[in-house]
Amino acid sequence: MPTAVRSKGFIALALLPALILFVVFVIVPIIWSAYYGFFEWKGIGATKFIGLDNYREILQDHIFWRALKNNMILIVSAIVGQVPIALILAIVLLKNSFFSRFVRSAVFMPMVLSTVVVGLIWGYIYNPQFGLVNTILEAVGLESWSRAWLSDVKVNMFAITIPINWSNIGPYMIIFIAALQNISPEIDDAANIDGAQKGKKLFYVTLPMIWSTVVVTLVLCISGSLKAFDHVMVMTHGGPAQSTELLATYMYNNTFRVYRYGYGSAVSTIIMIISALLIGINYILTRKKAD
Amino acid sequence: MELGTTRTTRTATASPGKKIAEKGLSLFGKLILLGYAVGTLYPLYWLFISAFKTNEDFFNNPYALPKEWKIDNIFRAWDLGDMGRGMLNSTFVTLTSVILTLVLGLLAGYVLSRFQFRFKKIVVSLFLAGLMIPIHSTLVPLFLMMKEVGLLDTYGALILPYTAFELPIAIFLSMGYMASIPKEIEEAAMIDGNGWWGIFGRIIFPLCTPIIATITILAFLRFWNDFSFALVFINTQALKTLPLSLALFSDGFGTDYALTMGAMAIAVIPTIVVYLILQDQIMKGMVAGSIKG
Repeated sequence: MPTAVRSKGFIALALLPALILFVVFVIVPIIWSAYYGFFEWKGIGATKFIGLDNYREILQDHIFWRALKNNMILIVSAIVGQVPIALILAIVLLKNSFFSRFVRSAVFMPMVLSTVVVGLIWGYIYNPQFGLVNTILEAVGLESWSRAWLSDVKVNMFAITIPINWSNIGPYMIIFIAALQNISPEIDDAANIDGAQKGKKLFYVTLPMIWSTVVVTLVLCISGSLKAFDHVMVMTHGGPAQSTELLATYMYNNTFRVYRYGYGSAVSTIIMIISALLIGINYILTRKKAD
Repeated sequence: MELGTTRTTRTATASPGKKIAEKGLSLFGKLILLGYAVGTLYPLYWLFISAFKTNEDFFNNPYALPKEWKIDNIFRAWDLGDMGRGMLNSTFVTLTSVILTLVLGLLAGYVLSRFQFRFKKIVVSLFLAGLMIPIHSTLVPLFLMMKEVGLLDTYGALILPYTAFELPIAIFLSMGYMASIPKEIEEAAMIDGNGWWGIFGRIIFPLCTPIIATITILAFLRFWNDFSFALVFINTQALKTLPLSLALFSDGFGTDYALTMGAMAIAVIPTIVVYLILQDQIMKGMVAGSIKG
């Protein structure tokens, strides 16, 4: 059968370039880093097999735990900061009026900016001398609250969450608007006829209807927060005194600043495992609730 | 998940209850929303007015309009940061990666949506796994691998990983879209004597224009704005992309704030212009991509 032969040739030629590129640049590196995690290697010269020593050292390094905690702060801030605000905005901006379209496109705008620009401009907003935050505090007589927001170890991690939330509320809002538009009008009407109050309607009608979307946004919050790197790299480099270190910056600093490639590989593998675990846990938890 | 995009009919036939809900958005509510929108845009507004100030003006009145609008910062930033070079590099790397992503992604998506073959399930789940992989966990091994084969510090060091990481989204978006194209069209084309390549090139690819737009938008923003890959894989000044030339300002010209604002203004204008023209498509595209992701 010539056509069968021809389809086989087509399948191979059309699929293989994508498959090879993907495997070589995405899958192989993961296996590679799992493997190099067992070695001590400075990037040049001999590699030395050291078994689980890298992993042991990581787990005993309190900076690693701080980085993990900081990533958790980002996840919590995304879940309690981005998702509810996005949901509220979606509910009030559902209508396609000129006004809601304007607000929507303003809220979405930061998302298209480069993370470097976001990091730099917020670095200036937090600047202790001329920054907007301190200027406002002084203007309303709260001078005592003003501080160097990105250097003060008590608040800097929380200060970093704000620009990240600023960028990410827009897409979640649009996701929710799409989901809300898919709720059938009859259900909405039925709830209104039954005299459901707005708050009750939100919790007993609207939220359950879009629950699968809420789950998607929660997964996005987790995976997005674990990916965080750029903002911190630009604003603080993980400092001062490694107080704003994230898993990704911890990996970067250990690999490309002090050239411990084996150690960095082990950290990479741990990031993979943590994100798989978190996404798995979230999947199990939210599936139960949906039933 | 499909996005409800053509539901304009709903607002037109709004129920009485709906109308009450809409009236609920009182003047007070609107003012709060307006305040929120203005607050969101304020950092950008501040960036642009500061870009036209002298440093002295910036320090004395950081939040007022410029005393005198000066364009010097823009020109100085363009020269000092070698931003023309950065913009060329970004354009070249982004364009090449977008084209590669489209061609490879749609071809693979077509095969996976239309043909049955032995390892299909494994291939699909491999790409699916690619959607979950945290990108930074591959920085170290990719760096080492590319160093080994001499790919580091070349355009390829960005183009190949960009494309590879964008392929899963491109493939799943195009698979979903192609499922809606009736098979009869291909059968007719086959009778007309077209081979698979002809069918793909002459019929499927043109029919996929909407999803091509979505994939292009997603890929463009991701590649154009990427910082981490460029930071790790590119070292040569002549190959630096726009985000890297910008990051340089925060280190090298740390206290020349007006200059840095000028550099940021240059970098931000192209994206904002594209956003203002294509905002509906960008919103829809980014959401479709992030949900699939």
